Amino acid sequence: MKEIVVISGKGGTGKTSITASFALLGEKNVIVADCDVDAADMHLLLQPDWHFSEEFFSGVAAEIDQGKCIKCGKCANVCRFHAIPVIDKKYVINNLNCEGCGYCYQICPRDAITMVEQNVGKWFVSNIKTGSKMVHARLRSGADNSGKLVAKVKNEARKIAEKNGVGWILVDGSPGIGCPVVSSLSGADLVVLVTEPSVSGLHDLERVYELTKKFHLPSGCIINKADINPEVVGKIKTFLQKENITHLADLPYDETFTKAMTFGKTIIESGESEIKNTLQQIWKKINNLLTDEREKS
Amino acid sequence: MKIAFTAKDTDWNSPIDPRFGRTEFILIYDEEKDELSNFDNRAIEGVEHGAGPQTAQKMFDLNPDILVTGNGPGGNAARVLTQADIKIYAGAGEMTIKEAYEAFKNGKLNLV
Repeated sequence: MKEIVVISGKGGTGKTSITASFALLGEKNVIVADCDVDAADMHLLLQPDWHFSEEFFSGVAAEIDQGKCIKCGKCANVCRFHAIPVIDKKYVINNLNCEGCGYCYQICPRDAITMVEQNVGKWFVSNIKTGSKMVHARLRSGADNSGKLVAKVKNEARKIAEKNGVGWILVDGSPGIGCPVVSSLSGADLVVLVTEPSVSGLHDLERVYELTKKFHLPSGCIINKADINPEVVGKIKTFLQKENITHLADLPYDETFTKAMTFGKTIIESGESEIKNTLQQIWKKINNLLTDEREKS
Repeated sequence: MKIAFTAKDTDWNSPIDPRFGRTEFILIYDEEKDELSNFDNRAIEGVEHGAGPQTAQKMFDLNPDILVTGNGPGGNAARVLTQADIKIYAGAGEMTIKEAYEAFKNGKLNLV
C-alpha cells in the first residue's frame, strides 16, 4: 500500500479539485483521506454518505466550579487570552478564547478550576461516488486542526485500505507548514505539490518544500493556471530543477473546473476535455514515480 | 552500539512504523548485550501538537547511537536529535525490524 500526499503551501491553487480528480481516476483502488480539516471541502466533490461517525476529543479548556469560586479574580488576571470575563458578577470561561494553557488552573487558590477535554468535532468514514471510501472530519466552530486529528484520519484510512486490499491512500493535505502538515507527510510515500504562478504561490511552494525535504520523499509538482503568468512559471521551473522535483504537468486556467464544481462534480466527470487527458497522464506519471522508487530500493 | 527503531510492535518481526513523532513503539537493540528492549510510545496518540519534539525528547533519554525509521523526522524533532548526536537512517518504512537491521548493517539505508 502506498500513501500519496497532495499539498500546496498556499490555499486556492486547486489542490482539492485536483485531488478529487485523482480519486475519480483511481476509482476503487484509492481510499481518500481528507486531512485539510480546517476548511474541508472534498465532500462537496466526492459526495460522501456520512456512513460512520465518531466524536473526536482534542485539547483542553478551563471550567470554573461556581460553588468553589471565591471571586478573587486571580484567574482572570493571569489569563493572557482574555478568556475569563465577569458576567452577572461571576467569573466565567469564554471557550472560544481559552487556549487550554492551564495557568488559571495552577493559580486558583480554591481548586475551583478543572481542565476539561474538549469535544472538537467528528470524524467520518463514508462511501463515495467512486465506489470507494473516504475518511474525513468536521470541526466545530473555533476548533482547529491538529497533528493528532490528521494522524487519526490517516490511520483510519490505512486500516480500511489494509482490510480491503486497496493499493493507494490519497491524502488531501492541509495548507501551511505547521503541525498538521508534518503529520500529513509523516509516513507517506510520495508528495504531489500543487502550485500556481503567483508570487505567493512560488513563495509558499518553496516554504513547504523546505519541510517536505526533511521527509526525503520523491516529489512531483503540478503548476496549475500556468498560462496566467509565464514569468513566474519560469521561476517555478527553475526551482523544480534545482531541487530535483519532477515537473508533472502544467494545467491551464480553465473555468470548466469551477463550472463542474458548481454541480458538485470533478472535471473528470464533465465530459471529454484537454484537461481531463492531462490529469489522466499525471495520474499515470504518479504511478510510475512510485514504481521507480520501488525499483531503486 | 545501541540502535533504535520506530516500530508498530515489540519484536523482531514487527513492521517499522514509518512515522517518527507518532511512532507506536521505540525498540532499542543493544548489540553488545544482544538484547531487544522496547519503549511504549502509544500515549503520543493523545498529543495534539508537537509529537515530533516529544518523541525526540524520549529518544534523547533512551540515548541510542543510531535511529532507524521510515521518513522524517520533521524539522523540530531533527534539531533535538542533532543535539543528542544520534545518527538517523531513513527509508525503512516498509521493512520489519529484522529487515531494517540487516539493511542498516549492509549500508542500504540513507543517512539523513
